[in-house]
Amino acid sequence: MFQRQKIEQSFYNIMAFGILILFALPAIWVIFTAFRPANEVNVTPPIWIPQKITLDAFASLFGFNPDIAAGVPVGSYMWNSIRVSLLSTIISVGLGTMAGYAFSRFRFRGHTLVFLLIMLSRAVPGVALGLPLFLLMRQYGLVDTVHGLALVYIAINIPFTAWLMDGFFRQIPKELDEAAYIDGCNHWSAFWRIDLPLALPGMAAASIFAFLASWNEYQLASLLTKTPVAKTFPVGLFDFTSQFTVDWRGMAAMSVLMMLPAIAFVILTQRRLTEGLTFGAIKG
Amino acid sequence: MTTTSAKQGEKANQAGVVSAPRHSSSRTTWFPFILIAPSLIVIALVVIYPVLYSIYVSFTPFHLLRPEQTFVFTTEKMWNNYIKLWNDDVFWKSLRNTVIFLAVTVNVSYLVALALSQLLARVSRGQSVMRTLLMVPMMFAPVLVGFQFAWFFNATVGLVNNALFSLGLMQEPKAWLVDQPTGMIAIMLATIWMNIPMLTIILLAGTLSLPQETFEAARVDGASAWQRFKHITMPLIKPFTLIALTVLSLDIARAYDVVRIMTGGGPAHRTEMIWTYTGRLAIRNSQFGLASAMSMVAVVLGVFFTLYLFRQLIKSRVVY
Amino acid sequence: MKYLNWRILFFLMVALVLAACGGTDEPADTVETPDEKPAATEAATGSDETESTDSTESGDTVEVEAPTGVSNGLDKDLSGTTIRMATIGGQPYEAMYDSIGKFEEETGATVEIVFLGDGFEIDRYLKTNYAAGTEDYDVAWNHTSFMAQYTNFVEPLQDWFSDEELAAFSPAIIEAATIDGDLQLIPRHADISGMHYRTDLFEDPDLQAAFESAYGYPLAPPATLDEMYDMAEFFVGEGVVQYGTQFAGKEEALAGRFYEVLVANGGNYFDADFNPIFDDEAGKMSAQWMLDLYTNGLIPADTPNLLWPEVAQNFCDGNVAFYLEWYGWYSYFQDPENCAVAGNFGIVRGPVGAGNDHTGWAGAHAFSVAKASENKDAAVALVKFLTSEAVAYDEAKLGLLPVRDDVWARVIADASASDVPLDAARLEVAQLQIAEDFFTPPLFPDWISFTDTWYPTLQGIILGDMSVDEGLEQGVNDARDLLDSFGYYE
Repeated sequence: MFQRQKIEQSFYNIMAFGILILFALPAIWVIFTAFRPANEVNVTPPIWIPQKITLDAFASLFGFNPDIAAGVPVGSYMWNSIRVSLLSTIISVGLGTMAGYAFSRFRFRGHTLVFLLIMLSRAVPGVALGLPLFLLMRQYGLVDTVHGLALVYIAINIPFTAWLMDGFFRQIPKELDEAAYIDGCNHWSAFWRIDLPLALPGMAAASIFAFLASWNEYQLASLLTKTPVAKTFPVGLFDFTSQFTVDWRGMAAMSVLMMLPAIAFVILTQRRLTEGLTFGAIKG
Repeated sequence: MTTTSAKQGEKANQAGVVSAPRHSSSRTTWFPFILIAPSLIVIALVVIYPVLYSIYVSFTPFHLLRPEQTFVFTTEKMWNNYIKLWNDDVFWKSLRNTVIFLAVTVNVSYLVALALSQLLARVSRGQSVMRTLLMVPMMFAPVLVGFQFAWFFNATVGLVNNALFSLGLMQEPKAWLVDQPTGMIAIMLATIWMNIPMLTIILLAGTLSLPQETFEAARVDGASAWQRFKHITMPLIKPFTLIALTVLSLDIARAYDVVRIMTGGGPAHRTEMIWTYTGRLAIRNSQFGLASAMSMVAVVLGVFFTLYLFRQLIKSRVVY
Repeated sequence: MKYLNWRILFFLMVALVLAACGGTDEPADTVETPDEKPAATEAATGSDETESTDSTESGDTVEVEAPTGVSNGLDKDLSGTTIRMATIGGQPYEAMYDSIGKFEEETGATVEIVFLGDGFEIDRYLKTNYAAGTEDYDVAWNHTSFMAQYTNFVEPLQDWFSDEELAAFSPAIIEAATIDGDLQLIPRHADISGMHYRTDLFEDPDLQAAFESAYGYPLAPPATLDEMYDMAEFFVGEGVVQYGTQFAGKEEALAGRFYEVLVANGGNYFDADFNPIFDDEAGKMSAQWMLDLYTNGLIPADTPNLLWPEVAQNFCDGNVAFYLEWYGWYSYFQDPENCAVAGNFGIVRGPVGAGNDHTGWAGAHAFSVAKASENKDAAVALVKFLTSEAVAYDEAKLGLLPVRDDVWARVIADASASDVPLDAARLEVAQLQIAEDFFTPPLFPDWISFTDTWYPTLQGIILGDMSVDEGLEQGVNDARDLLDSFGYYE
């Protein structure tokens, strides 16, 4: 009996591992390609494991046509992406947490309606927003600025954050608040001193989502940013490929660069992510 | 925008805060609205205003390159764009493609994620390695997923053809992204691949949080693995399922990036979706009025999809 | 830190509340920015009555003294000016931009390239920015096929260039680029396709014998569309090459290639009143030709996903026996480092169709100055420099076809001194093509809109989603609806 269970267990382990390797294969292939020498790319039959590791693709990305202004300003794309993502993450998590707290702690008329309105704003696809936003923002000089793009991302990230935090605050016993009120706290200080510190794991999870969503967004960024002053990484990547369609290795190298911050962010906060996401669901 | 929050204020005065502490003064009834107002203002500016503007534009023949002649609203011509859409075969085709695409990707993503989460819940070793492997697609922006899969399915240099050639399974190169239905399937595969990690993580967390005693008791009673899954696991992880699907629905339009890069809706509108067709009309063809009418359809589609899931979610919350 | 964020947030919110309230004025504002010229009706009717509006709107340029003499763009001191440029990118185009360093050095100006993209991306970029009045560039890419869209937004250049300067350029192109008396652009290089073929295949005695016995005429570079089909079939049947021929299968690239086949077959897209007429015999013949090539596997299976760089790469890798390609890839194809076909290909004139015309879909890549530019002086200087003899010559050395007579003279002299016979032969073919076969697509502002509507239908025909007759009927109806909605038939 014990023996059978053990065999069954290792069967599960091996199967899970196999499936996941297969699952991650496309990603692994792209990462390998970025580090291959040029003559290993697109050969028949495919060379699975790179025979030699080289950083050529990255070097040519950064040193591309150094004597003209154009090239691919990978550095500024990255810096713009970081600024836009951080700015929008901080503010949207701040605002979303406030809204989430309001939804979880107070019952008022129009509660469900306002909640749904906020949620549904997330369901509006980018194609419907792009051009009107462009026309609106150019009047106030917000087109092609980091701030303008960050503002758009704040709006996009608020609904999800509010929803997540709503679930989180529900989880925190109301009795804590009541105790605080008895001690003479007002709403603000109860929120600030009691509930917010307890909700930090939830905010961490919300931050991951907001950060990744901003970091990866392409559609609106492609309309609202135009120059290396504000262009983000996904837009830069698209330009790169539209100019050099056949350079798959360069594309792979750029992908790897683009993944770096996302990887760091996800790995650092991996456990928080699961906790944060599911915390609210358990009791609802 | 300011009127919206003012209206909220009025409502607050009438309603009061039901669950507020007993000693709360009338001033504090404003508190939730103060908390919500900034979010509402930002959303009103970035989402609601453009949508209203789009609605207006959809009743005009606005053409980007000749605004002075075309940005004119006339009552007799206000339905022109919608009539044009109604009679446009490509529009119906793109709508059909979008619905099929959503139905297939959502269901398949969910089923695969469910299976994967049940498998991972039983794994005893290397949990963290596996979890990291699982999360790899999450680090890929949809744009990257698009490029990567477009490259894999490329007819001349693609990995799929290349591998099939090398293994001797194929003689003629296959144009995966051109042929029907492989083009659509390739796009769906890419989207499903992108969706799975998040769904799996949520479902896995749900499965792991279930009480082990219940399962032991069922096992002792002689319930088969399938029966245990069907009668214990499934009902208990329902809230997690709904969360997972809601997260998915909120991000569904991300698929636009993938489609745009893999096929751009082509060839011959074979993979045209409502998002790509709108983009084509608005930007390439400068027919902003017509495109706005179509984007309204996309908005309605997205809103209904999300609304449906949220209703379910709120219902299940009441039960708990 | 927390307060800093709040301050930014507050600022943004105030800014956006203002933005939202002011936003309602916006339609009025859009009406004001671009000028009054009704581009569509004008192109449709060809009326001259817009002359008067022209003179009023170019009021600011009238003050500029008409330049005399010849400038290479380097004779001004532009220290401290920044010239911004949005232009086309890609392998054959980039080399020219290296010369910008020289311009910066000599004039003291700074050139900032704000956008680089392929022909369709740059078009999208320019269109959106022109329409929204957000031009962030002084010098913009232009092309004869695309220029009619931008007429309201680019500076008329005849006032900025002396007659002497303009005389250096091909008169036919300058004439084509003048709309209602306004010169839209200064050409950079010409754009026409010659038949590129692999000499190792066409000169192989065994293949020659086999072909003649099977088809009844000798194997030589295809001179007609029918011969193209026969030879494609033959080479693929012999298994000596993967594909007989090829063409780019999407976007304007496909619609344009179809256009030249259509013209060679004696047809056209539109009549003089912009009525679409390509569902006639010539249209059917042209569509059937493309369909047959595809269904019989004579062109790549992924044709509808190919654009210029991909087809060039296919030929470069030796996967294709012959096809129509512009001259710009010449130096790339001749480089054995990059291409398997280096030294093994030739170029002849485009084939003849049923209408006894040669293919010759053509145009010119060019530069324009944005009307919204605030330092047109410097912008014009940059355009002068980029189209000057010296720079044009450097570009022509790569294989691109010059649009200046002085450059033609130099490249012909170079070629006759070269060891490679094709260097000179290709220029003769190109000159013949430009003189005899050169025709542009209809120069109306909705050419790109039309091709965007039409090419998916054409793809549908090629892929067999609809019959030739159905597809052409639909194409004609769609074109009519489109132009009708722009007021062409009023």
